[in-house]
Amino acid sequence: MVICVAENINIMSKTLGPAMKERNAGPIQDMARTLTKNGADYLDLNIGPARKGGDELMDWLVKTVRETTDLPFSLDTTNPVAMEAGLKANIKGKSLINSISLQPERLEKGLPMITRYNTDVIGLLWGKDGMPRDADERAAMAVDFIYQANEARISTSNIWIDPIATPICVDANQVLAGLEFMSMLGEIAPEAKSIVGLSNVSNGAPENLRPYLNRTYLMMLMKYDIYSAIVDGFDKELLAIAGGERPEHVKLVHDIMDGNKPDPASLGQTELEYYKTTRVLMGKVLYSHSWLTT
Amino acid sequence: MAVEIPKVAYAGKIKEIPLGREGNTITVGGESCYPFHLFEGAMPHPPKIAMEVYDRAPEDWPDTALEPFADVAGDPAAWARKCIDTYGAEMIALQLASTDPNAENIPADEAAAITKKVSDAVDVPLIVFGTSNVDKDTEVLKAVCEACEGKNLIIGPLSEGNYRAIGATAIGYKHTVMASTPIDINLAKQLNILLGNLNVPDDKIIIDPTTGALGYGLEYCYSVMERIRMAALVQEDERLQFPILANLAKEVWKIKEVKLSETEAPLLGDQKKRGILMEAMTAQCVLLAGADILVMRHPEAINLVKESIQDLMIRGEG
Repeated sequence: MVICVAENINIMSKTLGPAMKERNAGPIQDMARTLTKNGADYLDLNIGPARKGGDELMDWLVKTVRETTDLPFSLDTTNPVAMEAGLKANIKGKSLINSISLQPERLEKGLPMITRYNTDVIGLLWGKDGMPRDADERAAMAVDFIYQANEARISTSNIWIDPIATPICVDANQVLAGLEFMSMLGEIAPEAKSIVGLSNVSNGAPENLRPYLNRTYLMMLMKYDIYSAIVDGFDKELLAIAGGERPEHVKLVHDIMDGNKPDPASLGQTELEYYKTTRVLMGKVLYSHSWLTT
Repeated sequence: MAVEIPKVAYAGKIKEIPLGREGNTITVGGESCYPFHLFEGAMPHPPKIAMEVYDRAPEDWPDTALEPFADVAGDPAAWARKCIDTYGAEMIALQLASTDPNAENIPADEAAAITKKVSDAVDVPLIVFGTSNVDKDTEVLKAVCEACEGKNLIIGPLSEGNYRAIGATAIGYKHTVMASTPIDINLAKQLNILLGNLNVPDDKIIIDPTTGALGYGLEYCYSVMERIRMAALVQEDERLQFPILANLAKEVWKIKEVKLSETEAPLLGDQKKRGILMEAMTAQCVLLAGADILVMRHPEAINLVKESIQDLMIRGEG
């Protein structure tokens, strides 16, 4: 089972963004109900950088969504004041801080909130110099994050490490580096949890084809016991995969990763799609928008 | 003790594409190794240089670039002949600059008539460039295809926005197309797939992955070309196994480093020599990245690069 954090309540959404700004509860509560019904485990409440009035917005959003669901919230903003407002507003529920990066000012403001509000936190592997370049840099940054958090009396089991997924159409090597890091995390910090934003990997791909990349990437991450994923809460097939309901597809993907290449002619339509997508995500075949049909 | 030099094992091969009209074709491509890695594979057709010809007398060129063509500027057919007769051009690249809607915006049929005149005046392969305006290029290149039936021109740029219309016409009149994408290997592959789906034959496709001048993003362009060649040869990426064209002259000769006179910029040294070296170095870089066709301007820069190609094509020991 992979914990699913639904990403859909987002200020960038064409319908929910204006609703947040106008404090119009209806569309947001409808969305929250649907996501809960679809089987999400957490709801991400993303208000962006929210430089002005972020605290009021987060406070309102938490209280508004809380009226419709008992699910825990992943509070998503880079504004620490808004983050704290959200944590206060959700004091009776469970919160996940999304996220704290390795930039010193973020750590300084963010870490004390974790103990103060007894929450979990996403440790984003984004450092002073930006994104890690390979699996080893991710490992070094993960150790650094966990060490600094432990120093601030935060238990490793409260930390969800996010190795940062990047679009396949930018660089397959970065996708591979993320997977390789995931294969190492269990040894580096057995108690640490992990989380990956699946939709990042399909950013830039044609909208109707993105689910193929997201689902396959999830199955690949499951090989390394990924703990949780940030997902499109409307992709029910993805939620079924995360819920352990597609073991045959997961096995197929893992076999391909192990080098046991099936005969493509023996595969059904869905299996063939996963086969092709796995090969693209492994960097064996160069990505193009027509990867499923060539 | 003898040192064993590690060699790359190549699984793929670049397609061989004959350019120009029947009886007078020049073939490009065919590589089974990285550029000039002759100790690992073969380059049956050394890279070729196409000399630029403009459809009008250029107004924004530095004198140092215009000087070799001052007597023929304004007469594209005579210009093309001079490139061949005086400078030994292996191919001609006609730039239909005056079709640009932001410039003279001459109509498609006029551009087609100019192209026809040039193509009748030369027997070497002829490349014809529009101005990268999706809609105008569609009109112009379709008219060019029709006017020059049977000459197997290389026409472009074809982009995601106009590959269908121009591609279909090129198939009909049997021309070769130049698939152009903005410095992105995934998009380059995608456009080649789309051209294949349109039934453009594989021996009628050249890749133009976009080139910048030395000092103006060249390393990025270099890296994309290099990766295209790696995917084609080592990953057996069938939709990238096409020859690469680098349309570099117009990029080089518009930058300030070739336009400033020595009085304006004494630190940069002799203006003529500077421009020639900027063009030659840009060309040299894309050659090493995998370009098969270089579109160049200055005869002296061309001579430098031709010499370099000859040197690199000598099969050494080992």
